[in-house]
Amino acid sequence: MSTVPLPPTDAEQFKTVCQFCIVGCGYRVFRWPVGRDGNSHPTGNLLGVDYRKQLPTSAPWLSPANHTQIVDKNGARFNVIIVPDENCSVNRGLSSVRGGGLAATLYAPDKSTNDRLHSPLLSAKQKQVVIDWDEAVDLGSRVIKAVIDRWGADAIGMKFFDHGGGGGGFENNWAVGRFFFSSVRTTTASIHNRPAYNSEVHAAADAGLVPLTNAYTDATLADTLLIVGANPYETQTNYFLNHMIPNLSGASQHEKLRTFGEEPTEAGRMIIVDPRRTMSVSAAESAAGKERILHLQIEPGTDIALLNAISRVILDRQWHDIGFIRKRMEWQTFEAYQRSTLAVDLSITTVIKEASEITGITPEKIYLAAEWIARPKQGGYRKRSLLHYEKGLIWGLKNYENVAAIVDLGLLTGNVGKPGTGISRLGGHQEAYVRPPYTGGRPARNVDEAVRRGEVKCYWVGGCNPVLTTLRSKAVASEMKTRAALVTVALDDTIGRPIGERVARIVDALKNGGMFLIGQDIYPTATNKMANLVLPAAQWGEMNLTSINGERRLRLYPKFMDPPGQSIPDWAIIAKFGKRLHQLYKDDRNPLMSSRFLDYDWGNDEDVFIHARYQFTGTNDDPMEGYAGVTYKLLKKLGNDGIQTPTRLINKIPVGTVRMHEDGHFFTATGMARFIFAPQPWPGYANKVLQQRRQFRFWINNGRANHIWQTLYHHQRIPYFQEHNPLPFIEMHPRDTAELSIKPGDIVEVFNDVGSVEAMAYITNSVKPGHTFMLFGHPKGSVGNLVSDHVDPTTTIPYYKGVWANIRRLRSEPELIKNMSFLPRNIAT
Amino acid sequence: MNRRDFIKVGVAGAVLPTASVATTSLAASVDQTKFPIVDVASLLEISPQTVLHFSYPDASSPAVLIRLDEPGTNGVGPNKEIVAYSQLCTHKGCPVGYRTQRKMLICPCHWSTFDPARAGTMVIGQASQALPQILLRVNESIIQAYGVNGLIYGRHTNII
Repeated sequence: MSTVPLPPTDAEQFKTVCQFCIVGCGYRVFRWPVGRDGNSHPTGNLLGVDYRKQLPTSAPWLSPANHTQIVDKNGARFNVIIVPDENCSVNRGLSSVRGGGLAATLYAPDKSTNDRLHSPLLSAKQKQVVIDWDEAVDLGSRVIKAVIDRWGADAIGMKFFDHGGGGGGFENNWAVGRFFFSSVRTTTASIHNRPAYNSEVHAAADAGLVPLTNAYTDATLADTLLIVGANPYETQTNYFLNHMIPNLSGASQHEKLRTFGEEPTEAGRMIIVDPRRTMSVSAAESAAGKERILHLQIEPGTDIALLNAISRVILDRQWHDIGFIRKRMEWQTFEAYQRSTLAVDLSITTVIKEASEITGITPEKIYLAAEWIARPKQGGYRKRSLLHYEKGLIWGLKNYENVAAIVDLGLLTGNVGKPGTGISRLGGHQEAYVRPPYTGGRPARNVDEAVRRGEVKCYWVGGCNPVLTTLRSKAVASEMKTRAALVTVALDDTIGRPIGERVARIVDALKNGGMFLIGQDIYPTATNKMANLVLPAAQWGEMNLTSINGERRLRLYPKFMDPPGQSIPDWAIIAKFGKRLHQLYKDDRNPLMSSRFLDYDWGNDEDVFIHARYQFTGTNDDPMEGYAGVTYKLLKKLGNDGIQTPTRLINKIPVGTVRMHEDGHFFTATGMARFIFAPQPWPGYANKVLQQRRQFRFWINNGRANHIWQTLYHHQRIPYFQEHNPLPFIEMHPRDTAELSIKPGDIVEVFNDVGSVEAMAYITNSVKPGHTFMLFGHPKGSVGNLVSDHVDPTTTIPYYKGVWANIRRLRSEPELIKNMSFLPRNIAT
Repeated sequence: MNRRDFIKVGVAGAVLPTASVATTSLAASVDQTKFPIVDVASLLEISPQTVLHFSYPDASSPAVLIRLDEPGTNGVGPNKEIVAYSQLCTHKGCPVGYRTQRKMLICPCHWSTFDPARAGTMVIGQASQALPQILLRVNESIIQAYGVNGLIYGRHTNII
């Protein structure tokens, strides 16, 4: 396209936040009827820009990717433009490749997003058939009731989003949590990307920390940034570009001077722990100079050994923050931590030598990292270090000890609750957690295993796609499909029969290994295609929702268009079921059960938001997400800077929290932080993992990439993104591909004892020989199909990154790759 | 390849009239805008690894002509290895630079990188479209720019 229509001066405008990653960049949305375009004269368009001239760098240029055309419920066509917000402190007018393409994700009847789910569907032998909401809700509710009455609440399984941004938000999360935990009361629950209902950072919580402690401004103020198992250029883009990079380049020096006065400051340093030389490493080096970036290219699963070795050096050099530990921490945990985790009974030489052998990192680099993190500055000032981690650590060798190792390092050095410090996950999606407590305890129940054993009689999957994202995913998909197919037979056999008979036949199928599968989503995903009942949901922009980003910034993401067909917000779907179950139990003269399904009569999005709010007190006891006193009206007023949670009520006015733990308060029984100690400095590989590692040649590291979001549920439908990755890529070292006669773009098979998957070879020295990196969750090939059923027994979190497999060349497809580039994706200069 | 070898190849390429015909038909379907035809350089001046800065379609639109060491999409010259692109990154409009060793155009502001051999497709980065390609043809040994594939950063229309 060679031009983009300009918004007229009377175009409708909205402020919103990107639907994708944790960073939550601010955007502006313009909408106006087709045929009423503005013009290029500065007074002729809403942006007030003179589009008759070449615009300078960083101007509000409208790229073709920023534009789409939508159709509302009445058939009227509108132009929609979505551009980054220059006034939002998060991104200051920057867009990532994902955010720049937001417009293309909107439903448009004549574009490739037109295969959105439009109405509820019921499975049948040939293909799913359209039914109306009343029929869908009645049948689904009767099945749920029958399952609870016969097998108990735990026979209802659920796997749902728990996040913010697109497909989530406080509104939808509250409705889902209330339904399953207060009303149904199942413990057979799991979160969208894992087999159980569990925090990914239990160790941080046990230490008394919230997952997101710092403000983004701390990344501009820190002396040293430690990034473990994360690739922020690609997956937290504008946190990296707009906050970390100005620190590394020295551009934030004036802010440091203003904040810290006489305390010595200089341009920041960065330590990146990653087995790959990623674009983040190259870009950081380009901004800071190589000598100020330390890339620790560790061997798989050895983060714990590395982090504990760094901590041991810090302790040995007496660089730890003894004042913080004495005043703010439970002292006895410090003693236990030194003795067990840091192995102080062994000499430091022994410990560091052993850590070096395990991690592949030289002792010199371990000592240097310790120095950058904790060696006091001139004048005795403590270093301000900001410690960040994400899936490389969370989905690593042993989730609990992995997270404990970085949390302990942060606490040992007192790097929390002060400007320029923090101990935080970087985050994947945005957050908006607000639910009644999950009562399943720890370790949480493994839902995949419950499905495998036939204990789940009704499985409700919402806003996620376990066919692509769980472990041993092909087997899980096959189990779901086989069990759902038995229910489909029951439905086919009873077409046109009274509802009671239909439900009775379904229950018979459930007795014989069947499982009533409910899929709730915006697209016909692989999971939904095998579902018995499909429920069409609204997406981002089609309802009002609220979420927080990686620095707990709460904002309103307003509705600016209609959802397609009969689709409604997730909370409204849940409400329909809640109300129906209330009535069914009432009709059954079961007041105990009917009263569990009360209070689903929300009238609009804000009703749900306010309902969820009642649990917040506006005091120090509120969780990280607490939004006491906040209303949509307030959020509209605050725009794209919103307010940072938790809010404290001061004279009934909500006041935000820039950084957590600044008051020295931690979320433990004593209010003091705790070291989380482990039996030894490194636990080693679990047996099942070790066997796979011995048997197969390549380590299949895996994760997300810059230009796509999660399972590509939107991006597989948008040419610009799809063309980048028609198949999942697998990065391989040139030495390995030469040996296997693999050329760039060749299709390879990756296979092990769990399963096999096809991928497209991408030759790069960003990975070491013997290491690979494969894209996670691609619809044409799921790494999950290679992941064994091993999980951390303490937390039920899988070791998703712990996959070993063999690789062989299958074929080349010249047509598929003729427009693709195979130049390296980690070059910055 | 030394300079003398190049001259032979260059002359041989210049007498082949087919290169310009092929690209003209491709461009017509892309954009109906009336573009100027601008002489960029003599084919003979474009030695291997040449990187030549020029402006197109007007003085406020910097562009770069590159002679690759392999054929490029819509390339001209003896081996279709001469290509040209708008120099303004389609992310925020910073000027991209060509790195001969890397074979890529790199933006210094936010590190978006583009592949000049593959129609300016983004290798990695934050731009939401490829780098606009300046369409070239050879007319009597003169390389001429005659169109643009994609919207140039900072413009509502390519011709302003």
